[in-house]
Amino acid sequence: MNFDIDDSIKILCDKIRSLYQEPSDTAGVRFHPSEALETRNGLLKNLKSLSGLGYFDMGIEDGRNSIALARARETMACLSPSLFLSVEMSTRIFGALIALYGSSEQKEEILPALKGGTLIGAVGLTETGMSLENMAMETTGRAMEESITLSGEKPYVLNGPVADLIAVAGKYEAENPGVGFFLVDRASAGLLIGPRISTVGFEGTALSSITLNDCQLSPKSLMGPFEGNEVFTKLRNWEDQVLTTAALGLMRRSYESALKYAREHESGGKPIIAYQEIAFKLAEMLTLLQTSQLLAYRAAWMDETGDREADVLARCAKVFCSESAQDVTNQAMQILGIHGYCSHNRVEEAYRDVRYLQVSGTSSEISRMKIADWIMH
Amino acid sequence: MDFSFSEEQKLFREQVIRFAKKEIVPRVREHDLAGKFDFESFRKLGNFGILGLHFPEDFGGSEADVVTSVVAGEALGEAGVDGGLTLAYGAHTFLCADTIFTHGSKALREKYVPRLASGEWIGCMGLTEPGAGSDVASMTTRAVKENGRYVLDGSKMFITNGPIADVAVVYAKTDKNLKHAGISAFVVEKDTPGFSAGKPLQKMGVRSSHTSELIFENCQIPEENLIGREGAGFLMAMQTVEWDRSALMAPFIGGMTYGLNKCIRYAGERIQFGRPIGSFQAIKHKLADIKIFIEAARTLVYRVAWCKDQGRPLNHLEAAVAKLFVGDWSLKPANDAVIIHGGYGYCHEYDVERNFRDSRLAPIGGGTSEIAKKIISKLM
Repeated sequence: MNFDIDDSIKILCDKIRSLYQEPSDTAGVRFHPSEALETRNGLLKNLKSLSGLGYFDMGIEDGRNSIALARARETMACLSPSLFLSVEMSTRIFGALIALYGSSEQKEEILPALKGGTLIGAVGLTETGMSLENMAMETTGRAMEESITLSGEKPYVLNGPVADLIAVAGKYEAENPGVGFFLVDRASAGLLIGPRISTVGFEGTALSSITLNDCQLSPKSLMGPFEGNEVFTKLRNWEDQVLTTAALGLMRRSYESALKYAREHESGGKPIIAYQEIAFKLAEMLTLLQTSQLLAYRAAWMDETGDREADVLARCAKVFCSESAQDVTNQAMQILGIHGYCSHNRVEEAYRDVRYLQVSGTSSEISRMKIADWIMH
Repeated sequence: MDFSFSEEQKLFREQVIRFAKKEIVPRVREHDLAGKFDFESFRKLGNFGILGLHFPEDFGGSEADVVTSVVAGEALGEAGVDGGLTLAYGAHTFLCADTIFTHGSKALREKYVPRLASGEWIGCMGLTEPGAGSDVASMTTRAVKENGRYVLDGSKMFITNGPIADVAVVYAKTDKNLKHAGISAFVVEKDTPGFSAGKPLQKMGVRSSHTSELIFENCQIPEENLIGREGAGFLMAMQTVEWDRSALMAPFIGGMTYGLNKCIRYAGERIQFGRPIGSFQAIKHKLADIKIFIEAARTLVYRVAWCKDQGRPLNHLEAAVAKLFVGDWSLKPANDAVIIHGGYGYCHEYDVERNFRDSRLAPIGGGTSEIAKKIISKLM
């Protein structure tokens, strides 16, 4: 047993922080470009610098979570939530998918560029009316003589407007059918990227639909076909890890901002932290933050060590951290008062971003059902 | 960071669960309902070695680390031992014996610790007073030095093991003009003239532990019974609080696991609308919430224990965070366990209502949630 964070992890987190020297105390690192090209260039620039730090050395080749990765992700999410989400979706999740399920040719072609920060990836999984449980995917790739014809629609693809390569999940109709991923280049004919969708939070992360109209792909672009659901379960788990650590980051920035504000802002001749109504809120926020951190780190550690309970702990962490983050960002907003309510501050941004965490990945509802199924089995 | 337990700790956990299920749990309900302390179970805890676990072998202990003590506490709860007995054990071992061991003179340690470690004697600790709870420094119990003796006057309130204790660690003011720095700690034996205990208080939960007032009227004790030096009492009390907030919290978490296991069984067997209620999402939701609480809380408690094992003094922030979370966040899952059992849950037979009553102490005893928040907000 050891509750100290290793020095190597601290060093990496310090490096990440030094990369994003905050322009001011309240602004945070805003990453909210509205134009696709601007978003793409901004993302590439950041991918490159993060690559230089070794931020992509974890969790891609083996697809495993770890305490180091969880802590690094938390640090990044705290600094710039939108950038964090874009980066993780592009490089770590897309990357792990290629590393674990891609052909050796695909790996050789894609992974170096991805880890070097010169390529943006995306994954198209969710469809309207589809749930991971029944896998009723409509998107279909048909094997033709020398190509694959891909058709279907993915209504919500993170990084859709900026990605170089999109891994699109779908049915594969061929002699040996199954489900698989089709790697679609952004320049492919028949790929239509929808307009950027306006969202409540994570405004810097570009989201769009993609439509595939008889998109012609080389047979080499196929990953799979796979039997069973394993690859999709893995994908969801990776996504959940990102959302869990995003929750830690959002809590940390909200708590830190609220603490600073409560010490500086005066009312009745004393800083508002001198009032129990404020100080005790902060105490609850810190309690939720620390509890969430330990739970998320332990879940990550279990994944790292292959613990029998790793899956159920990951779900507990996802529910607890995302719901606690909602609570903490809400309390932080309350402490900042009208200052928090005005747009463009770290807390207001976190308050909106946090709403994504419970609905995305494995939702709180499905997570709870899975936890109960696991403990009752 | 590393969250693993040693093989020894894992094995010990299994041993404690097996022992408790066989020797103690069958007796628990009767004593809880009657509000009766179970001397036999307490002796069994002593014989098994739990009461003195962390003391050196010379003092009748096993030299276990704090984490292992927490493992034992959690295992007792998980086996189904009630919060009353585990509270009695906590007050005895950590609040009384450990204070004498850590701060007492050689003579005090040698006289009391082995007897407490074996369970031959029962210990208690008196800090809270009728008029001084969270505001410890406002205590009015006095200890005046006269002719080589200390004379104690005053009273202590809500003292776990008060009516059954053979020996008490008592905090009193040796200098009434000072606040915290005027507090000193003493050992007082049961039959000392002028020392008496009130009748056991009727409580909502932890009913198998006896709680009462301690009364001191011109109670004279030898000056050697001063623990440490005059004025150092408050620091000692604060150090015991780390135990309060780790090893004493562990049975709560184990108890929640015990309750969850009961819920899992019941939800699988209870048929309504033609299917087990465990197949309804509303019940699954509650089961998941209990599991989430357990996993969130236990890591906090082990962190306090681990910090203590590293010899890091006064981990007040970690301890207060653990105390606040276990206290304030345990009420809903404890309630959920009752609700899952419906009408049966409201009856004593299913034990979940006992857990519910016992867990109500968590935000009150050993420093209230409000005090925990006060500490956290001071230290953050």
